[in-house]
Amino acid sequence: MKPSRWPLACLISVLVFFYLPIGFLVMNSFNASRFASKWNGFSLRWYERLFERHDLLAALMNSLKIATYASAISMILGTAAAFAMNRYRSRFQQAHRLLVTVPLVLPDILMGMSLLLLFVSLGVKLNLITITVAHVTFCLSYVALVVQARLQDFDFHVVEAARDLGATKFQAFCKITLPLLAPGILAGGLLAFTLSIDDYVITYFVKGPGSDTLPTLVYSMIKKSKDLPVINALSSLVLVATFATVAVSQRLTRSGTVRD
Amino acid sequence: MKPQRKSEFLASAPSFLWLAMFVLVPVLIIFGIAFRPALAGGGIGSGWSLEAIRALADPSYPILLVRTLWVSFITTFACILVALPVAYAMARLTPIWRSRALLLVIVPFWTNFVIRVFAWQQILHAEGYLAQMLRAIGLLGENDRLLGTQAAVVMVSIYTYLPFAILPLFAAAEKFDFGLLDAARDLGSKPLGAFVQVFIPGVRQGIITAVLVVFIPMLGSYVIPDMVGGADSQMIGNKIAQRNFNDRNLPEAAALSGALALLVLAPMFLKRKGAEA
Amino acid sequence: MSDEMGSFLRFENITRKFGSFTAVNEVSLEIGQGETFSLLGPSGCGKTTLLRMAAGFDRPDSGRIFLDGKDITLLPPELRPVNTVFQNYALFPHLSIRDNIAFGPKMAKHDRASIQRDVDAMLELVDLKSHANQKPSQLSGGQKQRVAIARALVNKPKVLLLDEPLAALDLKLRQRLLVELDAIHDEVGITFIYVTHDQGEAMSISDRIAVMNKGVIEQIGPPAEIYETPRSSFVAAFIGDTNFLDGRITEVIDRQFSRCEVCGFGTITIENDKPVAVGDLIHLSLRPEKLNVLREMPNPAISQNIVRGEVEDVIYYGSHTRYWIRCGEWKLCAEMQHRNFQLNESRPKWGDEVWLSWQASDGYLLDQYRAEDEELLTLPDEDA
Repeated sequence: MKPSRWPLACLISVLVFFYLPIGFLVMNSFNASRFASKWNGFSLRWYERLFERHDLLAALMNSLKIATYASAISMILGTAAAFAMNRYRSRFQQAHRLLVTVPLVLPDILMGMSLLLLFVSLGVKLNLITITVAHVTFCLSYVALVVQARLQDFDFHVVEAARDLGATKFQAFCKITLPLLAPGILAGGLLAFTLSIDDYVITYFVKGPGSDTLPTLVYSMIKKSKDLPVINALSSLVLVATFATVAVSQRLTRSGTVRD
Repeated sequence: MKPQRKSEFLASAPSFLWLAMFVLVPVLIIFGIAFRPALAGGGIGSGWSLEAIRALADPSYPILLVRTLWVSFITTFACILVALPVAYAMARLTPIWRSRALLLVIVPFWTNFVIRVFAWQQILHAEGYLAQMLRAIGLLGENDRLLGTQAAVVMVSIYTYLPFAILPLFAAAEKFDFGLLDAARDLGSKPLGAFVQVFIPGVRQGIITAVLVVFIPMLGSYVIPDMVGGADSQMIGNKIAQRNFNDRNLPEAAALSGALALLVLAPMFLKRKGAEA
Repeated sequence: MSDEMGSFLRFENITRKFGSFTAVNEVSLEIGQGETFSLLGPSGCGKTTLLRMAAGFDRPDSGRIFLDGKDITLLPPELRPVNTVFQNYALFPHLSIRDNIAFGPKMAKHDRASIQRDVDAMLELVDLKSHANQKPSQLSGGQKQRVAIARALVNKPKVLLLDEPLAALDLKLRQRLLVELDAIHDEVGITFIYVTHDQGEAMSISDRIAVMNKGVIEQIGPPAEIYETPRSSFVAAFIGDTNFLDGRITEVIDRQFSRCEVCGFGTITIENDKPVAVGDLIHLSLRPEKLNVLREMPNPAISQNIVRGEVEDVIYYGSHTRYWIRCGEWKLCAEMQHRNFQLNESRPKWGDEVWLSWQASDGYLLDQYRAEDEELLTLPDEDA
C-alpha cells in the first residue's frame, strides 16, 4: 500500500516555515535600505557599521568567556552525574535524577528569578560570575542527559576486558572508557556551549549592570529600535558560526557511532 | 563507608550539591521571599509580611492567568497537530533521509532565540511584505496590525516550540511498527482512520512528552509576548519581569513566581504519583 | 584423563547470591592443567557467575578459589594470570586489531620489540595478518572472535576462560571455529574453561563437562560418561533427548537384570545400574536412538523388550527420522538412521502399527528424578 503524500507535504511545509524567517534575516542584512520592507539594492554597509560597534564586540567576548567556562564546568559535573545515575540504583540516585531533571522542565523565567533571589539573599554582587554559575546550572543537566544516552548503549564488557588484560581501574578508565565516551562528552559540551551563548532570559535576571552578553545587548538594542539592520548583519554572522559548530558536532557524533 | 557507597558518593556529590544549591534552595527561597516586605529602593525588608501575597488578589491577575493558560494550550495543541504528520513522514523516510530531515529540523534552533524572534518581528511589521500582501488580497484590514497581537504571540511560539514537539514524537514514531497501519487498512479502515485509530495511540508516550516539553515552558513565556505581543497579550512571565525590573518589588515578583512554580510543578508531581500508583 | 592431572584450578565451596537469588550454591570443582573443561547448563544456572569469579570480575560471598596452589579469591582481574574471551567479543572499537592484541603486553610493560613479535605470532596463529590495521567494526563475526582469542592468548595466561564464545555466530561458522579452537588448544596446551548452553559444543570440545542447574553441579565427567550414564533426569534430558519411564520393581531376576512394571505400559526388563529390590520405584531414561522401530514382531530374546505401538507423528530430518509412538498411556520418541531401512522397504507412517524393541541394557536407571525435567524433552513443533 502506498503511503499518503499528505504527511510528506506537511514535513516540507514545516521545513520551509522553519527556514524562511532565517533566510529573510540574512537577505535583509545585505539590504541597503534601513527598512526591511524595501529592497534598495545590495550593500555591505551594515557589516561595516557592525565592526564599528565595540560594545557588541565586548558583549561577544563576555558571551564566549561565559560559554567556555560554563561548558567546561558542566562537562565535568554532568559526566560525573551521568556515570552515577547509570551505575547506581539507590534511593539517593532517584533524588539525584529528579534534581537533574528539574532544570530541564523549569521555565527559564523561574530559573532566572529564583537564582536572582538566591544571589540577592546571599548579598552576592551580580556580575559575569553569577551568570556563569546560572549557565552551569542548566547546562549540567543537558550534558548529563547526552552522556547518559551514550552510556546506555555503552558495552561495559570492554572495560572488563581491559581489566582482564592487566589494566588497573584507572588505566581502564583512561585508555578505554574515556576515549570511547569522548565524542558523547564533547557533544554534550558543545550543546552546553550553544545553550549558554543562546540564553537570554536567565542571563537577563542574574546579570549585573554593565555585564552584558550578546543576547542581552541585542535585546536592548531591539527594544530601543536602535541600529536594527546592524542586528541583521550580526545575526547572519552568528548563523554562519552556528552552522559551523553544528557541522563539527555532527562529525563528532558520527565518529562516535562507528561501533560494531 | 563501604567502597561502593564511597565511589557512588564521589561520583554524585558534585552535581548533587551544585543542583541542590542552585536549583532546590533558590526555588524554596522564592516561597520565602514572597512573605517578606518590600523596601522602596528595590530591596527586601526584614520581618514577615503578607503584602506580596495580598497583591496576588489584584483583579488583573485572573485575566493574566487565563490568558497564559489559553495561549499555552493553543500553542501546545497546534504544535502537536502539526508535529504528528511531520513525525510520521520523517519515520517513513529511508534511514539516510531520516537523519537528514532530523538535522534540518534541529539546525534552525541552534541559532539564537532572540535573533529568531527578531526576524519574526520584522516579518510581522506593519509595513512588511507579509502585511502588504495580506492587505492586497483583503485578508487584513487597512488599520489592522499583525504585530502586537495575541495571534502573533501564538504564531511565534509555535515557531519556537514546534521542534520540541517533533523530536519526542519522531522518537516514538521511529519505534512504531508501520505494518500495523497496513493491517488496519486490510481490515477496512480508511487512511485517515488508520492514522487516528492506530498511529496516534501507538505514539501515545511521545505525545505526552511533547505536551510536557511545550506546555510547561510556554507557561513561563516572557520574551515572545514582550517582543511581538501587545498590551493585551502579556503573560505571567511579563508581569514577573515588570514587578522585578520596573517596580523593583522583589517580594511581589517572588509571590507571582511562586504561583507560577506551583502551576508548573503540580502536573509533574501528579504525573509521578500516577506513575507510582 | 582427569585423574592424573590433579587440580590446577580449584573452586572450594563457592556461594554467590544476588539479593535473594542464589546464583552459585556451595560449588566445589577441580580442573586439571591443560584440560578443556566445559561448564554446561541452561541460562541462569550459575555457569557464567562461576566463570566471572574465576576471572576476578566478581567475588564469591563464601568459599575460595585456588590457581596453581595460590589463593586468588580476592585478587583483582588485572593481577590474575587468567584471560577471558567474551561472549560479544568486547573488542576495543577505537583500537586497531593490532592494538587490541597488543593491549595486554603493553599493560604488562613489555618492551616494544617483544610486543611486536608476540602480536605478530598471534596474528599468524589466528590467520589475521592481513587485517592487522583494520578496526574491529570492519571484521566479520568469526574474525572478531579470532581477534578476541588472540588478544587473550598473547598474554600467555595459565587459564583461558571462554564465555559462550560462539553464541553470536551462525551454525556453520560455529562448527568451523570449534575445530579451530580445538587446534589452538592443542598448540598452546593451556587450560581452557568453556562456558556454554549448547550441549553439542560442550560434547565436541571438552575433556570433561560439568552440567550445572540452579546453582549446583549435577554431574561432572567425560562427555561419553555423561551421555551414557546420566546421574539425574535433568542431565539425561539436557544432554540430548530422552524418554522417561516410571515403574516399580516386581522381580529381581539376578545380579544383572530385573523385571519392572510400568503403569499403562506393561512389564519390561531392565538392567540393574544400581542396587534394586522388589517394590522400589525406579526412573528409567531411554534414548531415542536406542529404540528400534519394526514393522514385524521380532523374535523375543530374554534381555530384550518388545512393545506394540502406533505411530502418532513422523518428522523427517534427512539423515534420520523421528517417530513419536503411542504405547498404551505413554508416548515414546524413537530415532532411526536411514541406512537401517532398505530402499524398497516402505517406512512406517502416521497411524501404522509398529513394534518397538530395545535391549534391557539400553535403558539407564537415574539416581535422581524430577518430573519437571521431562519438560526439557523436545516435542515436535506444532507447525512442523
